[in-house]
Amino acid sequence: MDLSTLPIIPITLGTLAAGTVLTFASGRWARWVALATSVVFLFEIGLMFLGYTSWPGRSSSLVPQFGEYQSYSWISLSWLQINFTVGIDGISLILVLLTGFLQIATVVYTWNETKRPAAWFGLVLMTCLGSFGVFVSLDVLLFFLFWEAVLIPMFFIIGYWGGPNRRYAALKFFVYTHVASIVMLIGLLALVFYSGASSFDFSSISAAAQGLTGIVPVVLFLSLFFGFGVKFPIVPFHTWLPDAHVEAPTGGSVLLAGLLLKLGGYGLIRWAVIILPSTLTRVDPILFFVAFLSIVWGAVLSLSQRDLKRMIAYSSINHMGIVLLAISLNSALGLTAAVLLMFAHGVVSALLFMGAGTFHHTYGTRDIPSVGGINSRTPILASLIMIGSLASLGLPALISFPAEFAALLATWDGLTYLVLIPLIALVVTAAFYIWMMQRVLFGPPKGIPNDAHDVPPAEGLGMGMLAALTVLFGVLPFLLVNVITMSPITGWHG
Amino acid sequence: MTFADFALPFLPEILVLVGVLLVLLLDVFGVKRIEVFGSITVGATLLALLFVVADLGFLPFAALSTVPASRIDIPLAVVGTPLYSFTSLGFVFQAIFLSATLLVSLASMSRSSYEKGAGVFYALVGMATLGMLLVGIASDLIFLLLAIEVTAISTYLLVGYTRRDPRSLEAAMKFYVIGALSTVISFFGASLLFGAYGSTNLYYLRSVGGAVGYPTLILLGYGLLIAGLAFKVTLVPFHAWAVDVYDGAPSDVSAFLAGGTKKIGLFAFFLVFLGPVLFFTTTGTSNPFNAGVLNTGPIFQIVLGVLAVVTMTVGNVLALMQKEMKRMLAYSSISQVGYMMIGIVIATSPAIAGATLQIFSHTFMKTGAFLVVAAVASLGIGPLISDWKGLGQRRPWLSIAFALILLSLAGVPLTVGFVSKFVLFSSAVQAQGYFIWLAVAGLLNSAISVFYYGRVLKVMFFDAPDPEPEATVAGPSPPVSERLSMGGLGYARASTIALIAVVIVTFGIFPQVILGPIQSAAQHFLIAGP
Repeated sequence: MDLSTLPIIPITLGTLAAGTVLTFASGRWARWVALATSVVFLFEIGLMFLGYTSWPGRSSSLVPQFGEYQSYSWISLSWLQINFTVGIDGISLILVLLTGFLQIATVVYTWNETKRPAAWFGLVLMTCLGSFGVFVSLDVLLFFLFWEAVLIPMFFIIGYWGGPNRRYAALKFFVYTHVASIVMLIGLLALVFYSGASSFDFSSISAAAQGLTGIVPVVLFLSLFFGFGVKFPIVPFHTWLPDAHVEAPTGGSVLLAGLLLKLGGYGLIRWAVIILPSTLTRVDPILFFVAFLSIVWGAVLSLSQRDLKRMIAYSSINHMGIVLLAISLNSALGLTAAVLLMFAHGVVSALLFMGAGTFHHTYGTRDIPSVGGINSRTPILASLIMIGSLASLGLPALISFPAEFAALLATWDGLTYLVLIPLIALVVTAAFYIWMMQRVLFGPPKGIPNDAHDVPPAEGLGMGMLAALTVLFGVLPFLLVNVITMSPITGWHG
Repeated sequence: MTFADFALPFLPEILVLVGVLLVLLLDVFGVKRIEVFGSITVGATLLALLFVVADLGFLPFAALSTVPASRIDIPLAVVGTPLYSFTSLGFVFQAIFLSATLLVSLASMSRSSYEKGAGVFYALVGMATLGMLLVGIASDLIFLLLAIEVTAISTYLLVGYTRRDPRSLEAAMKFYVIGALSTVISFFGASLLFGAYGSTNLYYLRSVGGAVGYPTLILLGYGLLIAGLAFKVTLVPFHAWAVDVYDGAPSDVSAFLAGGTKKIGLFAFFLVFLGPVLFFTTTGTSNPFNAGVLNTGPIFQIVLGVLAVVTMTVGNVLALMQKEMKRMLAYSSISQVGYMMIGIVIATSPAIAGATLQIFSHTFMKTGAFLVVAAVASLGIGPLISDWKGLGQRRPWLSIAFALILLSLAGVPLTVGFVSKFVLFSSAVQAQGYFIWLAVAGLLNSAISVFYYGRVLKVMFFDAPDPEPEATVAGPSPPVSERLSMGGLGYARASTIALIAVVIVTFGIFPQVILGPIQSAAQHFLIAGP
């Protein structure tokens, strides 16, 4: 049988959905079902990689084309054509890969979850199912369904497994992201109907949207920017993020930082930048301003945190600001850098949040000044946190370096000396990570309880996977870059 | 025209009427069993539904159509046309009304087998259904209001038919007084309109719009009609009666009121208000005290639009604060009417189709919700939401069905409630301009509604049950006189609830089956008339 002709995306959606339902239903075997689903998912992602060099992505036509493309009619009225349309290009595939890695890492890391394990693993799989759906759907309604499908499990993950203030954090998360979803949905619907697109399909919208003129595309772009931006999160709509991260359980933080923030970036690229490229150049001062604001504000606030998790959360705002900056540049290099950076941040922030979670279990606190010198007592944990921190501050040969380097290069191309703003912010980032490492990992031991053990095997395995990825793709970034450039955007911008 | 040619198109109405007469006759001759009355009503309704669906042209049944195609959706807007006419949208609504009747009649068969007044109950349900069917074919304002009245009088009696329960009697009294008042207001408005137009033919009124030269009369007439019909469909601020009535009436009757009879007012809004809403003129005036042509379009768009947004918001916010299940459902029913009104404000064929689909889905969802409430009450569980604690463990299937209904009401994907809201709000964006605000308001309200539906889900599935649930019973709950099958629900009620759950999911996943006919009906309805 020829594997390349299988409708692999619907099959993957089916297996993930079936795995989710089975996990919910399987009681104390839930972790094994979740693990099996994750392995099958990775295998299916492998199948998607099989034929990527032969995709029609490099076609010269203005309408983008996709690999593994499938389309089935769902609702068909004279004014409303909705299809079940899925397909991937390089951008989606990289983020799908990230979803697969984070899913298995989270399942392994939280292997010993004792509080309603079936529900926990089910919700983790559901989050990944929703993210996968967002990355592969090419229809407005389908996209929105999966987008919302991510929100619900995350609400329960924070609200049920979270810290002492979890109800407030879950509600804040829900309100912020749901209001943003509504603005996004209205923006997408308006995009369809104002452009006169013949269907809700991505390709027909992006073809029809070229005809939009005047103020309409600007309003549409800004509403989409707000809708996706809250997920980013952009300053000043970022305040849900630190609360959600601090209250969320470790697995929840991993998915939140690793996947949910990427949905915003992916959505902005797919549904705003690719569809309305000329409008982006009209509003880019706003985007640049917001990006710089997020970069600086995230770095400064990160520097002043005592809580390890909160520090990582604010550094996420800083990193996603750089992603936004790279996207706003509207160049092939910028977009490639943005996608690479999203992948890098997904892996690295997941690793760091896992490290912070284990740190909390081991030392009973996440307060940076009150614990020190943990490398003497828990050397593996210290090394993993160090790998994460070094990757996050952009050390060469780790995954963030090629991404940030490309982003800065693209910024120099587009904005010349304004590149100094993210550059200086990077120095600040480096400063707070090094300062944190100096205080927590090294120096004289303090605040270490007598029964402190090193990383439990499951948690170590989960973190080890991500650390290995950090090194692998740091040394061989072309593995990712070659895939990302298999996207229609290179056909346009190149 | 032979008598058969005249009578055959009325076959659904005739079937329902025959059913009513049969029930009354058997009641007189001393038949007591509720199963007999129920079967007759269900049978008559099912047959009528079959013929209505056939008239809509659904393929397997199309051969059964009783109305010749040449008489459906033809222009009728002359001063002196007949009182009735056949439109596809009318058939769609008739099908919706008949579904509500079918569900309620079927479920009610599970009540105590020798319950007193069973014959009266089914006769009244049948009479109300007859009135609803007549609304579906009305093309004259007076005929329309009389048909509404047929339904209304039957429902006043239905609310109070369990004569022993003082709460029901109070509700019936309240319902009657408010209903009579609203009827008077409606007829007064209609008489003013007759003064202005010289006709009461609805399609003629629609074709003329504001161009008759009596601005004050038109404004007053339509204004009074808004008030009168707003009472019927429970628009805020004319909604206050609804909560007490739904709360006080027996739950089966509440299901019929909220799921069925309320919808006739919405179709009446379609019939009456498309004219003024769609009438735009650049040369006219918007000041009713000037002579000449009144520019009714902007006035009624704003008035009805504000009513719609206020209704959905107030209904939702008040639903959020309720402690009793039935009152919560009543307020949610009020807010849903706000969504449906969006279709009348926008008045494009997509919007009418969206609103009709919303009415369709709401009929199943709300009827189902009240039927579940009736079922739960018959299990001896109290009226408060907190009394439902742990129902998910004690009655898993009933709870899952109710969860599906609530999720559909909240507009969660893969349910028919999501599809209808999506189509409706899309139509608001599709209409462009300031209608987008209606979509924004609707979506924000849907977000609010998630909380009170979600709270019930939490209580049902996550809260531990009280050790002795019987001890929490407060207020009247009908005692179960004999042990029924299906865990105390009875086959009829259990299968009705299962049917509703199946409909909600099936049309949620394959909406095209109903959306296609509804869209084409809405298109025909909009161009009916010259």
